Amino acid sequence: MATLTECNLLPELLVAPRPAAWEPVRKAAETALEGQELPTTKHEDWKYTDLKSLRETHFVPGQYRKVDIKERILPEARGTRLVFVNGHFDPPCSNISALPSGVRMLRLASASEAAGALGSLATPEGSDVFTNLNTARFTDGAYIFVPKNIHVEPVLHVLFVSDQEGAQPTCSLPRLLVVLERGATLNLVEEYWGHGCTLTNSVTEVLVREGAELVHERIQRESPEAFHFSSLRARLDRDARYISRTISLGARFSRQAPHIVLADEGTELTLDGLALLGENQLADTHSFIDHTKPHGTSRQLHKAIVDGKARAVFNGRIFVRPGAQQTDAQQQSRNLLLSEEAQVDTKPELEIFADDVKCAHGAAVGQLDPEELFYLQSRGLNLSTAQNLLTYGFAADLLARIPVASLRRQLRQAVMARTNAQDLASMA
Amino acid sequence: MLSIRNLSAAINGNEVLRGINLEIKAGEVHALMGPNGSGKSTLGKVLAGHPTYKVTGGEVIFQGKDLFEMEPDERARAGVFLGFQHPIEVPGVSNASFLRLAYNKKAEAEGRDELDPLEFDDFIQEKIKVVKMDAAFLDRSLNEGFSGGEKKRNEILQMSVLEPTLAILDELDSGLDIDAMRVLGEAVNHQKSPKRALLLITHFPRILETVHPDQVHVLSSGRIVKSGGMELAMELEERGYDWLKAEAVGRG
Repeated sequence: MATLTECNLLPELLVAPRPAAWEPVRKAAETALEGQELPTTKHEDWKYTDLKSLRETHFVPGQYRKVDIKERILPEARGTRLVFVNGHFDPPCSNISALPSGVRMLRLASASEAAGALGSLATPEGSDVFTNLNTARFTDGAYIFVPKNIHVEPVLHVLFVSDQEGAQPTCSLPRLLVVLERGATLNLVEEYWGHGCTLTNSVTEVLVREGAELVHERIQRESPEAFHFSSLRARLDRDARYISRTISLGARFSRQAPHIVLADEGTELTLDGLALLGENQLADTHSFIDHTKPHGTSRQLHKAIVDGKARAVFNGRIFVRPGAQQTDAQQQSRNLLLSEEAQVDTKPELEIFADDVKCAHGAAVGQLDPEELFYLQSRGLNLSTAQNLLTYGFAADLLARIPVASLRRQLRQAVMARTNAQDLASMA
Repeated sequence: MLSIRNLSAAINGNEVLRGINLEIKAGEVHALMGPNGSGKSTLGKVLAGHPTYKVTGGEVIFQGKDLFEMEPDERARAGVFLGFQHPIEVPGVSNASFLRLAYNKKAEAEGRDELDPLEFDDFIQEKIKVVKMDAAFLDRSLNEGFSGGEKKRNEILQMSVLEPTLAILDELDSGLDIDAMRVLGEAVNHQKSPKRALLLITHFPRILETVHPDQVHVLSSGRIVKSGGMELAMELEERGYDWLKAEAVGRG
């Protein structure tokens, strides 16, 4: 059992400059941290996910450094991009010249207007140690605000780079706050990328007001040595729509913790996830969908492809509160095991306290379907090509839903390379 | 082109084919008919190399080669095509890309030039006209969300792309309305050639009114119990299959 101060994460961060407007929420988070510890496998939520290697690594706060983001540029977001390196704003790589008027996209450190919403979902009293650590000590992050009834044409892209400098592993605490006012619409790409041994502990808060619609891609392509913790807190107001997709390709160790509150009537949520794992990677998703009011719809599809000695963990909790009648909630966890030593632990949890609801969940863990393999072989594809094609298809099915063409292409190529399906290069 | 000699096959220890003998020559169209459970679909799957079925006796020679010495994909590249009764859906893989990949694998095996995406597009646009398929289906995932009829249409499209020497079409007519059956029947006729043989597996004779068979065989309990011409199919249309079963029992 290590307390936070014993786990060597942070003392240096305490001295980072802080805008005064954040002070109350930071202080509350700092207070909440006292007595909170890094969880061990004795905690139910961390039973499959051992943080021993994290505890044994000594991280120093990452500094700003120059990076080359050429490969990460999305043409759809050429003039609507913010970049942060090791938690620090990167002016040369950022470009918001094409930002439509009225729309705000800026670094949090200069967005005192954001103070009211900041920490309103990831409240210190309702958050775990990782989230509170971020709230208490993050240096900077991005703030996005779309005013009433504005339909944002360009895609907005926020890129968080984690880049180890020298021999010492580095840590950063990225922060993102997104507010869509009534009737606004937006396509947002939130991306994590990096090199070396890094620890990224991010918190994203999303407020989708009445009738607004947010399509939110969350891409994790950190280095194979990285540790990645990501907490997503979102709230949907009346008739709001939120489509959130998390694609995890990188990191030796990653944890996704989306927590979505359907806070009013008529909301629609799509929460999709894909984890592509090999070697010794571990990807853990603990999701929580909270239906609080009538006529809410949620669709969750989580897929994992697990090869080598990798491990995927999925725990999907859906909560239907009393009075949330006519809730329609569906959850699917589908897992593809490609090796003997790969492992999947999947656990759907439905808790329903309303009587007039439609809820369904399912979990499947399996190998490739012999009938599908035979079909492809009967068309002249040899067994390994057929296997790779089906594995690729299992992942690409989810990628096909991404509306940002350049991102879809990039991810298809990455998945093709990982599934040895380069034969299909023309498919991207 | 194809010689099936005393072929027996089993699934999970149950013998489904019990000594099939059949000769098919290049350019011929054969129809294999029979009641449900008679083994007709099994024969198609065994010829294509489905892993669940175990060949327990006999042999099959395809163009001078032992078919059972070849993997399913080798058989396909050698010119065997099975049109599935229930084609499989493959999400995430576009129909056009899949068709091009399959085409190029066969071209590579035959030492022909592979087609790049642009060349293939020209090629496939001609092919879809014959099966009267909407080009939008090329961009969709392979068979995903296709209706029964659309899947069958796609099977015939795949056949026309792969240009097999032997095409086995399993219940092409099932799930099709009369118009669609005629379109696909004509698309199959379009692909008849002196170098190509067809084996139509069907429960109902109707498809044979469009694709005329040279020979009709009736399968019952894993054996061919009667062979004849189109008149045999017509007789089955009128009398059903029961009389044949009775005849077979009487003989046995």
